[in-house]
Amino acid sequence: MGWNGLFKTLVKKLGPLKALIIASEAGRVTRKYPFEPPLISEEFRGKIEIDENKCIGCGACVNVCPPNALTMEQDNDTKVLKYFIGRCIYCWRCIDVCPTGAIRGTLEFELATNNIDDLHEMVVHEVVKCRVCGKPVTTIAMKDFVLEKTRYAEEYIDLDPYCRKEKFIKAIEGRFGYREQQ
Amino acid sequence: MSGNSPNNKKSIVDEYVRRLSKYASDIKFIDDTLFAAIPSNSFREAVKLVHDEFDCYLRTCAGVDERPVNGFFAMYYIFGDDRNGLNIVLKTYADPSKQVFPSVTDICPAADWCEMEARDLLGLEFKGRQQYRLVLPNWWPKNLYPLRKDVPHDIKPKPSFTGERVSVGRKGSSAPIPVGPYHPALHEPEYFELYVEGEKVVDVKYRGFHVHRGIEKLAETRMTYQQIPFLAERICGICGFVHSTCYCQAVEKAARIDVPERALFIRSIILEIERIHSHLLWVGVAAHLLGYDTGFMHSWRIREHVMYLAELLTGSRKTYGINLIGGVRKDINEDKIPKTLEVLSIIEKEFARLVDTMISVPEIKFRLKETGILPKEDARKLSVVGPTARGSGLDRDNRRDLPYAAYKYADFNVPVYDEGDNLARTLVRVDEVFESIKIIRQLIEQLPKGPIMAEEIDIPENRMAVSLVEAPRGEDVHFVITGYGKPYRWRVRAPTYQNIPALKVMLNGVMLADAPLTIASIDPCFSCTDRIVVVKSDGRREVLHLPSQWGGMGCSRL
Repeated sequence: MGWNGLFKTLVKKLGPLKALIIASEAGRVTRKYPFEPPLISEEFRGKIEIDENKCIGCGACVNVCPPNALTMEQDNDTKVLKYFIGRCIYCWRCIDVCPTGAIRGTLEFELATNNIDDLHEMVVHEVVKCRVCGKPVTTIAMKDFVLEKTRYAEEYIDLDPYCRKEKFIKAIEGRFGYREQQ
Repeated sequence: MSGNSPNNKKSIVDEYVRRLSKYASDIKFIDDTLFAAIPSNSFREAVKLVHDEFDCYLRTCAGVDERPVNGFFAMYYIFGDDRNGLNIVLKTYADPSKQVFPSVTDICPAADWCEMEARDLLGLEFKGRQQYRLVLPNWWPKNLYPLRKDVPHDIKPKPSFTGERVSVGRKGSSAPIPVGPYHPALHEPEYFELYVEGEKVVDVKYRGFHVHRGIEKLAETRMTYQQIPFLAERICGICGFVHSTCYCQAVEKAARIDVPERALFIRSIILEIERIHSHLLWVGVAAHLLGYDTGFMHSWRIREHVMYLAELLTGSRKTYGINLIGGVRKDINEDKIPKTLEVLSIIEKEFARLVDTMISVPEIKFRLKETGILPKEDARKLSVVGPTARGSGLDRDNRRDLPYAAYKYADFNVPVYDEGDNLARTLVRVDEVFESIKIIRQLIEQLPKGPIMAEEIDIPENRMAVSLVEAPRGEDVHFVITGYGKPYRWRVRAPTYQNIPALKVMLNGVMLADAPLTIASIDPCFSCTDRIVVVKSDGRREVLHLPSQWGGMGCSRL
């Protein structure tokens, strides 16, 4: 074996050492994270924020939420939109469907906490009650939102769907002179 | 590829129809799928015809509770004819009072698991084979069949934790070596028992199904069409986008929704990004299993670029969440394209260098070469999929054979190696990374303008479709029957399901130290699959032989 052959064998044997060149060129790729900004892009989907002033309590976000992180609870006086971060998968479907743009996405992902209550957020809405039967119909914010869009909704906005139907039937009756047989 | 020309395809479909019409009363051909309803008394002959004479392999089978619709239970057997780009769905009914189906496991052994799954989840019986409990835990009450339509999804029977005994050695061999219930490298619940003679593995037993999550039931009861893509994405932690794409495609095919071109291109681009990240992850894990942690670190360092790119394009590093029925949610803006191309060239350059360095390490080459051999004949018999098949000389790739999304616009090679050893499977994955980079570059160049979401999404009831996606690990199959507001039936078959039986061949005779790498070489995803099988040293497949303490689940020899 001449010098040339020896050199070639040596290069072949030292092949694995190329890893040293790769490593030195790559340098340090990890970050001193809490002291340096984390590696997230501007497109990152993090936690959502709900603007109480814009939310009208329509429940569109609740309908599309795949993991039920957003839920709606209604009793006689209030309608509450609840957001539990523990279930959220950060898909931002709620942002897509919100009619008022009340939900905003953030880049926030540092959500660890010692207290589970920190993971709950809620928006409390006061409800409008039916002027005939007194059952809760819709939220005040929703009523204002609808009235802004359509003025004549004033006629029926504070009626329970059932009472609304009754009213409609009565109006038809009055118009055509038909009376329901008892 | 010659079989894919339209004329040729039509004559082949006619041939199928002509031969099947002897058994079937109702044959329909939609897109690329042939549906045939066959009475149960002549069903076995029809399966024999399709499986043996037409040489189709079984993709999967699905039991469906159709009692609310027509009063019967039904079994759908989905066959695939890759060379001609066809799916063949054979359906059979059973008398609702007896619910007994003819078993076809002696004709196509691949039907073993899905038949037992239908038995567990729907209470169907199969005549002519050994039956045992597969999916549900041992304590699950008898006569409670979760996938039946009259069983609510939130039912919670009281568990009784009896525990399971592992067997204590086989005759003529030393004590079993347990691997699991968490895989030392893949961090997933599975359990292997390796039987060794000296340092050589002679037999292996697999026990899975620790994490059956009831995803199909959840989708059929509680979720809406547009929520399920997010659930489907969580079937797998690595190839989630594959599952959501496959589900969306199935529903789009069933409902004949026209998806805009741009959305199809975006899906393909993201699917290829997912393939790159999955293969880079696998190369890292393989290096780690070989004790070459330098390779592991650098492979994952390169992968980090892909993860960042995925986040830039979709909004999330994993579980991208941009698939919906009818298109995608997030557009690829013009200003992201230069960044994408930059990242691709970084990966191409760095990965080529890393592979070059890794291969030059003699120990790596020595341990990959000629270990875990899967010969071509066995691969065909077990109809394995993905890099496992391509590493054993089977030229199968759904991206080319049954093109979906935007793959028909891309020109790429399908790497095939004939050796069938761990090195071949590694090289297939390495080559595929470069092919994927090529595909993404071509697709970005041709990216058409236009909307990314179909305007009208109207899903009629009672349609069905089979959809296939080539996942990083192989072929992923989703079968959907549409219903009102949600799918009536949604069946998922993950790629690892097909590949695990091949481990019996691969592990036979390897050194114990090579066993973890051989198991990992199919890139298994137990969470997607979770089935049960036993591997015999004489090459026969046997269902796990359970001692009587396990409730007399019996065993069947196929």
